[in-house]
Amino acid sequence: MNVSATLAWRYLIGRPGRTALTTLAITLGVALIFGLNGMMPGLADVFTKTLFSAAGQVDLTVSSPSAGNFETSIADKVAGLPGVSVATPSLRRSAGMPNSSAVSVITIVGIDPRSAQKVRSFNLAAGRMLSDGDAGQVVIGSDTATTLGLHVGSSLKIPTVAGTESFTVAGLLANGSSPSAPEVYVTLPDAQRMIGAGGLINTVEARLASGADRSVVEAAARRRLGSDYTVGGLSNESTLLASVQTANYMFTFFGVFALIMGGFIILNTFRTLVAERRHDIGMLRAIGADRGTILGIFLTQSVIQGVLGTVVGIAAGYLLTLVALSWYQPMLKNIMHINATISPSYSAGTWVAAIALGVGVTVLSAVIPARQAARMTPLEALRPQAAEVEERQRSRWVIVGWVTLTASILMLFSKQISLVMLGAAATLMGLVLVAPALIQPLSYALSFVLRPFAPATADLSSSNVTRQPGRAAATASAILVSLAVVVAVLGVVTSLYAGFFDYINKSLGSDFVFIPNGLILGGANVGADESFVQRIADTPGMGAVATLRLGQAEIGKSQVQVVGIDPVDYPKVASFTYSKGTKTSDIAKLGQGRTMLVNGITSGQQGLAVGKKVALQTPNGLKDYTVVGVATDYLNAKLSTVYISQENLQKDFNVTSNVLVLANAKPGAPKPAVKAALGRLVANYPQFVLYDSATFKATQTALFSQTFVVFDFLIGMFALPTLLALLNTLAISVLARTREIGMLRAVGTTRGQVRGMVVAEALLLAAVGVAFGIAGGIALGYALVYALNSSMYVMPYYFPWGGIVVAVVAGFSFALLASILPARTAAKLDIVTALHYE
Amino acid sequence: MPIVEVRGLTKIYGSGDTIVTALDHVDLTVEQGEFVAVMGPSGCGKSTLLNLVGGLDKPTSGQVLIADTDIATMTDRSVTELRRRRLGFVFQFFNLIPVLTTAENAALPLTLDGVKPAEANDRARDWLRKVGLGDKLESRPDQLSGGQQQRVAVARALVTDPALVLADEPTGNLDSKSADEIANLLKQAAEEWGRAIVMVTHDVTIASHAHRIVFMRDGAVVDDVALGADPAADARHAMERAGLL
Repeated sequence: MNVSATLAWRYLIGRPGRTALTTLAITLGVALIFGLNGMMPGLADVFTKTLFSAAGQVDLTVSSPSAGNFETSIADKVAGLPGVSVATPSLRRSAGMPNSSAVSVITIVGIDPRSAQKVRSFNLAAGRMLSDGDAGQVVIGSDTATTLGLHVGSSLKIPTVAGTESFTVAGLLANGSSPSAPEVYVTLPDAQRMIGAGGLINTVEARLASGADRSVVEAAARRRLGSDYTVGGLSNESTLLASVQTANYMFTFFGVFALIMGGFIILNTFRTLVAERRHDIGMLRAIGADRGTILGIFLTQSVIQGVLGTVVGIAAGYLLTLVALSWYQPMLKNIMHINATISPSYSAGTWVAAIALGVGVTVLSAVIPARQAARMTPLEALRPQAAEVEERQRSRWVIVGWVTLTASILMLFSKQISLVMLGAAATLMGLVLVAPALIQPLSYALSFVLRPFAPATADLSSSNVTRQPGRAAATASAILVSLAVVVAVLGVVTSLYAGFFDYINKSLGSDFVFIPNGLILGGANVGADESFVQRIADTPGMGAVATLRLGQAEIGKSQVQVVGIDPVDYPKVASFTYSKGTKTSDIAKLGQGRTMLVNGITSGQQGLAVGKKVALQTPNGLKDYTVVGVATDYLNAKLSTVYISQENLQKDFNVTSNVLVLANAKPGAPKPAVKAALGRLVANYPQFVLYDSATFKATQTALFSQTFVVFDFLIGMFALPTLLALLNTLAISVLARTREIGMLRAVGTTRGQVRGMVVAEALLLAAVGVAFGIAGGIALGYALVYALNSSMYVMPYYFPWGGIVVAVVAGFSFALLASILPARTAAKLDIVTALHYE
Repeated sequence: MPIVEVRGLTKIYGSGDTIVTALDHVDLTVEQGEFVAVMGPSGCGKSTLLNLVGGLDKPTSGQVLIADTDIATMTDRSVTELRRRRLGFVFQFFNLIPVLTTAENAALPLTLDGVKPAEANDRARDWLRKVGLGDKLESRPDQLSGGQQQRVAVARALVTDPALVLADEPTGNLDSKSADEIANLLKQAAEEWGRAIVMVTHDVTIASHAHRIVFMRDGAVVDDVALGADPAADARHAMERAGLL
């Protein structure tokens, strides 16, 4: 090992506390990037398996691009294609099971038994396979049977549009089922009746003739069927997969932020190291070490620390993944009905990002102090460090900072999404650049607050902060980035929270809600037919009733959810959150031809404005719809959605079942009694859960709190570097002023005053950092809400008062906490030793 | 044979009204095996002279000739190499690397010069035994007394077999007994091991271990006295003449 490596290693192990502190900064960032992204491949895999479970074993699949239902005759067309030996129609739909069931959701698969067995292999473990003409018989997987405690001949209750029906288990399959929603096979006529899709199917599966060229057959199928059908498999452009991708970017974004904070902390740490080892550097240079050797010592140390921090960060990240998944899996089960075991899994990109950023940020942050150390002449380094010298004012960079800040304000108000985001980044960068110039006036002004309490220490601490503007600025920058993220995340959370509760009040504010067994509408659940709605309406004390129906469509190549409402009934029990230019009366326009309302996401993604005509890909071909307004309801706020009349949904999408029912009690009607009657009614429809408005809001509040645990965790992770940065800087500050502190003690300063001086310095640094952090956080939060508004969720912007309070409390609490150890060290210094300290 | 020749060496700091002449046309020659002490009041230019001779600083004018080469004209890299191979340094505050052992500290100049670790280690241990630290080879600096630490520094200065050892107040931070031991060690280095030693000191007792004392005042050499049979008395008289007592 050469001398640089030996010294670097020895210095590291010689100062375990310092090493741990610096390594922690890297570890935090790497753990965030690695840990959070470790969930993504597993989640994506489960979603993919769920989506593609139908396409696994067959040679060719035909479905509607809109995932909707279509005529059975399409199966005959596919069977008639050259190269196709056999084709079979099927109808698939997921169904929520009663809460008491061990399986929360199943997939009802209606098959034509004879042809299906020629296309797929059904390996029976017990009983028999379905045969043509069977009614009320099911075949399920052995694993599902075990979970549900069933065997051949048992009875299984399954939700249908007309209420729960009992089926007899005819056979058990040896092959495993889809992990999230096990398949339950019934005959096609049974499925069509259960789902309320008479004569319709939504998938054709085919087996190719021996020797047939798959691509030739697919091309022939496309020619024969036209663009109204997807040949070759189900679309992988799922909203869920897209959300996974978005989360991936978000987690990497947060991780990079954490590493930037780590970078500032490391910068200060290496500055300290250079200051501490000044005499070592001088001696080494005097006895013949060249500049490269000195540079090598610090860079080698940074590489070792970067690698160490990255390795520990990856290990911590793995634990983080495990914890996050253990928290997420029940959420997936409860909310999305995905009941699967997800294991940590890391893509090559995650590994590369974690390692490159972990090691890279450490080395880059060490470069400036290392170069400064190498440039020192032996004489400079050997000279007693009488007093810390005012660092060079980087006036050019400060001017760049002011220009950047000015530009950032203009960008934030530009109303162009990319410019707004750029504006937030520019605000943070501008603040970092102007920080050295603002440290002095801000610290001086803030010292006035401290002066009435401790006049001597206020002045001393203020001068201590300002004598090293570079170091103070780096500390303030670390706090800035840390608290800016805290303020921004809390701002976004506040806006989301407020925004969604606004949606709930408007779109689900009826007295009673019959909601699918799970919050999200997507996934084509089994609903209920009109008889269910009629029985609700007939319940004594019941007033207006409205329903939501669900289809799928494509605009261009993007999937959109199609929600069918009754333009007359819907406004009686609910309303939308309208975007500018749309009003309640526009709902009535849905009854006039092919018209639609679009939600914020669809409007943003497709560039749809009122009056624009757009072609929707429906199971019955392309249909032109005219946009009559932009509005969003609660349940669909997260998904690209359009709203059309139920009449059009039936005509173009073949959908007649209701997936959500909203109902109001008559004025003066006894709500508990009405609810009890409705409860008896819904018992036969386990795919629905009945809520009264208060319970529903309480459930949603609990759900939000559970969801936002991840934000609380992120906020904690981001606030922590503030503590590290302050601790580091105060330790440096005390160390560099050892002689000065000795002198102060010698001329009569009490230990308490010395302690007070260090604490005051911590508070001043924190105050500057908090002020910058709040400014940066407001800009970042505004940009994030703006971005979400433009692309996904429509929500109002709320000023992050809560975030500001948290930032102030966290900043000053951490300042006090960080100052304990350095203040005690400074106060305990032996006067004689301190005076002789070099 | 002169190891170092200083000719007309001048060092001026600052400019305009703040100009300070730290050294003013100083001439000095040090022979092989000679132990020279430099004395004078604070600010007289002793340390500046040592720094210029050691190539740690550049003169304003004049020459420092080591092996007939003027180090003022050498590049930073060449001077660094010269310090590594031909010069040894002993500082007032020992300046040992706290995270290295005694042997590793003493071996540093060799390690820096690319000498194989085993050889560097052997040579460092030899020198540590010579300076009386054979039983402290694996100790850390904080486990040694001040005198022992300075012995490690002397071993480090001698390990490369340098022609010239420069010691800047090497006893300034030691008790009188340790100071005396270090001064004797430096004298041994000159007389027994043939090194040229230049030592800056304020202490006449320490200076009396040298062969010669150079007195400085206001940046100039004011006296240059060879010590005789009673070096302590000679040193005291010379100091009186120089107005330092």
